[in-house]
Amino acid sequence: MNCEELVTYLSEYIDQNLDDELRADAQEHLASCHNCRVVLDTTQKTISIYRQTGRQSIPTVRRQALRDRLQAAFDQRDCPPK
Amino acid sequence: MPEDTFLLQELKAGKPDAFASLFDTYADRLYRLGMSLVGDPFEAEDIVQEAFLKAISHIDRFQARSRLGTWLYRVVYNSSIDRLRGRVDNPLPEESDPDENSLPMPEVLLEWHTPEALVISNEGQDYLDQAIRSLPGSLRSVFVLRDIEELSTAQTAEILGIGESLVKVRLHRARLALREQLAVYFAERLPDKGIVL
Repeated sequence: MNCEELVTYLSEYIDQNLDDELRADAQEHLASCHNCRVVLDTTQKTISIYRQTGRQSIPTVRRQALRDRLQAAFDQRDCPPK
Repeated sequence: MPEDTFLLQELKAGKPDAFASLFDTYADRLYRLGMSLVGDPFEAEDIVQEAFLKAISHIDRFQARSRLGTWLYRVVYNSSIDRLRGRVDNPLPEESDPDENSLPMPEVLLEWHTPEALVISNEGQDYLDQAIRSLPGSLRSVFVLRDIEELSTAQTAEILGIGESLVKVRLHRARLALREQLAVYFAERLPDKGIVL
């Protein structure tokens, strides 16, 4: 496997979707290629940063108001016949 | 996504707690998808409200095997896209499907680590937001669903109405594009300026 192929398979490698043979090829290339190790490491860090910081919520006061409005709409809906 | 079958039964029976549970499970997730696409907190909130109201009015028609969460995500996604198309000042750009053969190679090969203080600082957050917003919407939505919400490839494909292979290609391109932008930002701010290779 060369650098270009490693980059092509990078996400599949990170997501552990490669078959055993391709995974072994990727690991062999990574063991000898510093640049590709940097790309792998910094791609994983990128995902991790967004996973940690990207989970914003609806601001608390607005969330509660929205919840109350929708709960009222649900409570007032026509119930199905028994 | 959590199993919705029991919740759906409770919703159909009109149990108030069931709606509270549905809201608490999905409201913030839906908001994040809407925000990532329309970029405006009030508009995103409006989109979430519409989706829940639609769910309330359709609840009796849901089949037991339907995935309520996937359906809600789809409503939010389609509504966000419709709103973007309707914008006069910033219409949705035409996007061609990414071609795996034209994958750009990484250019910034700097090692960096992620100092917690910088990541959570206002400046750091602004940069992370700006970087993700610079992605085309098609890549952004896949990145949000797969890497932030941690949905599966199959769930993401169903929500966006595209094939699983296209989800994978778009996710890969989104990750590489974001990596490139973060590499520039964080490497420049390291005490030793990273290691130039």
